[in-house]
Amino acid sequence: MSAATRKEQIFGFWGSVAELFRIALRAIMGSKMRSFLTTLGIIIGVLAVVAVVSILQGVFQSFLGQFEALGANTLFIRPNYEMFSDRREGVRRLKLTYDDAQAVAQQVPDVRAIAPMLFRSDSIAFRSRHDTTTIVGTTEAYGPISDVNMETGRFLGPMDVDSRRKVCVIGHDILDKLALSDQCVGTEIQIGRDTYTVIGVVEKLGGAFGESDDDRIYVPLTSAIQQYGNDAANQLILLVQVRDAAHMDSAVERISNVLRRQHGLKFGQTDDFRTFTQEEVLKQIKTFTNVSTLIVAAIVGITLVVGGIGIMNIMLVSVTERTREIGIRMAVGAKRIHVLYQFLIESVTLSTLGGVIGLGAGWGVSLLTVWILRKTVSPTFPPAYVPLWVVLLSLGFAALTGAVFGVYPAVKASRLDPIEALRYE
Amino acid sequence: MTASGDTLIEARDLVKDYPMGESVYHALRGVSLTVRRGEFIAIMGPSGSGKSTLLHLIGCLDTPTSGEYVLAGSPVHTLAPDQLAELRNKEIGFVFQTFFLLPRANAVENVELPLIYAKIPPAQRHHMAMEALEFLGLQTHAAHRPNQLSGGQRQQIAIARALVNKPSLILADEPTGNLDSKTSENIMGLLVRLNQMGNTLILVTHEPDIAAYAPRQVRIRDGLIVSDELVGTPGKGGGS
Ligand SMILES: Nc1ncnc2c1ncn2[C@@H]1O[C@H](COP(=O)(O)OP(=O)(O)OP(=O)(O)O)[C@@H](O)[C@H]1O
Ligand SMILES: [Mg+2]
Repeated sequence: MSAATRKEQIFGFWGSVAELFRIALRAIMGSKMRSFLTTLGIIIGVLAVVAVVSILQGVFQSFLGQFEALGANTLFIRPNYEMFSDRREGVRRLKLTYDDAQAVAQQVPDVRAIAPMLFRSDSIAFRSRHDTTTIVGTTEAYGPISDVNMETGRFLGPMDVDSRRKVCVIGHDILDKLALSDQCVGTEIQIGRDTYTVIGVVEKLGGAFGESDDDRIYVPLTSAIQQYGNDAANQLILLVQVRDAAHMDSAVERISNVLRRQHGLKFGQTDDFRTFTQEEVLKQIKTFTNVSTLIVAAIVGITLVVGGIGIMNIMLVSVTERTREIGIRMAVGAKRIHVLYQFLIESVTLSTLGGVIGLGAGWGVSLLTVWILRKTVSPTFPPAYVPLWVVLLSLGFAALTGAVFGVYPAVKASRLDPIEALRYE
Repeated sequence: MTASGDTLIEARDLVKDYPMGESVYHALRGVSLTVRRGEFIAIMGPSGSGKSTLLHLIGCLDTPTSGEYVLAGSPVHTLAPDQLAELRNKEIGFVFQTFFLLPRANAVENVELPLIYAKIPPAQRHHMAMEALEFLGLQTHAAHRPNQLSGGQRQQIAIARALVNKPSLILADEPTGNLDSKTSENIMGLLVRLNQMGNTLILVTHEPDIAAYAPRQVRIRDGLIVSDELVGTPGKGGGS
């Protein structure tokens, strides 16, 4: 065989695809505005998906980061408010106290440390600055369990708790809120109606939207109980660290047994407390992620169908307008398959380009949204995050839409009769 | 011509009917034609007599309602659309009255068009198309689009496109119909030159001046051949 024939074979299929792609690009670029309007449905669909997913993913990533930082060997215990349809009734009837915490610490050998936490929202003030924040009453155990790193000063110690000292450790955001200097250790600030002395500042953590752990003040549990009373003291959250993450399940069971005894629950009565391990929390976050991904996928589906109909519509018009061109191509030897692929590749290229534009625009919109949320809602709102699968999925679906909705116009074009196509005015 | 010439076209009793509502319009009523390689034929006849219909059948753009047609050994009347496309691509070059160039493609890209479907690689394709343009002295217009060219130049581009694949047969349907007489002469001179180089040419026209360039003239009326005569030697021309 001659060299030319071999070259022909090498050129083959992919050469033809490259050729048709070139033809498609020329047709698309030949009428840019129309191409843009044609793919607008796809552009908006992909834009919406990328914007929503990237913001949600950013929030999820930051949540995940926080809970993973918690460690696989820790768990939370809180009153089982879900027992009552009205949460206020739960708050009135349920108890989880410092005594419970001590009973668990003493009776369960698996427990390495336990930090009771009393949460309260309160006003704070320093000189002319007023604000509100979350007050966390806890013990010295909290520091090592939560792996708290200090920027300056120290964390709460046993003496602070035992002697009910009016001292506090502030989160990083409090510096801004109260316009405190970096060397604020020793400064006295107002929490509610009491005065506390700052003994330390926690390193900046970052955190999920609205829930920043930097926007907190830690005070001795005993001081908090003195200030907020017994009602608050009865509604603690216990942060527990076990010795070995591998025995988490048996530890949870022993802890439950101790608490049931403490609360005098009889056999068959449901637990009046709930435990949350990192694993469970992660599972819940993942379920939430999956559900929202499904909702997003449904939106994508709908918008892409709408976008696809737009593409089909214009491709049909395009086939009619270019009947003469099709006739010319057929007259010089284009087979049906050539014409079919030409229009199919054109619609796939068109929709994929729409996908690319939508991806870029969606990313822009999410950056803008995060910027606005940081200015308005929370300065620590997590950055938008676009996982690779979103990029691939959007482009894949955009291309698929072009393929599915391009088939009918392409088939129509390929079935034209050469003579009638040439005669077409 | 003598029987020793190699037969390119063998058409027997070609009939083409067009359905017209309830009735049928008989565009061709039984046309038989034999063409040898290297011939130059003019098909003449009044408007509506079936000239274009016959040329489309010969050019494998259409299939006859009945009759047999063998082109370069292929039984065209039995072929499927894609086989016809392949035959058009390999064996036939078309030249139309209204040029039929792709408006968005430039001259050389228009000439390359048949080579795309012949699966010739891009570089080689471009080279062949430029050769065809050079042959017509149009290489300087290679990058021009059809709307940047005169009518005569457009028709020359179309002729280059018809030539580029080195077909057995060049078919021209009123190639000078949209051109002034001076340009028509140039185009006809070009076609005569192609014929002298060995190309087989079939030309449809209703102008005797144009038909006079062809040594063999076939007259057709109401879908039937009424005369088929050799009137001279190729290249002499009969125009003013
Ligand atoms: N697709 C069609 N459907 C119906 N009738 C057709 C069709 N194509 C051609 N005809 C008819 O067939 C007859 C022959 O047409 P054809 O185009 O071959 O004529 P022609 O000899 O080329 O005429 P002209 O010199 O005007 O180009 C005409 O009467 C025309 O109306
Ligand atoms: Mg005609």
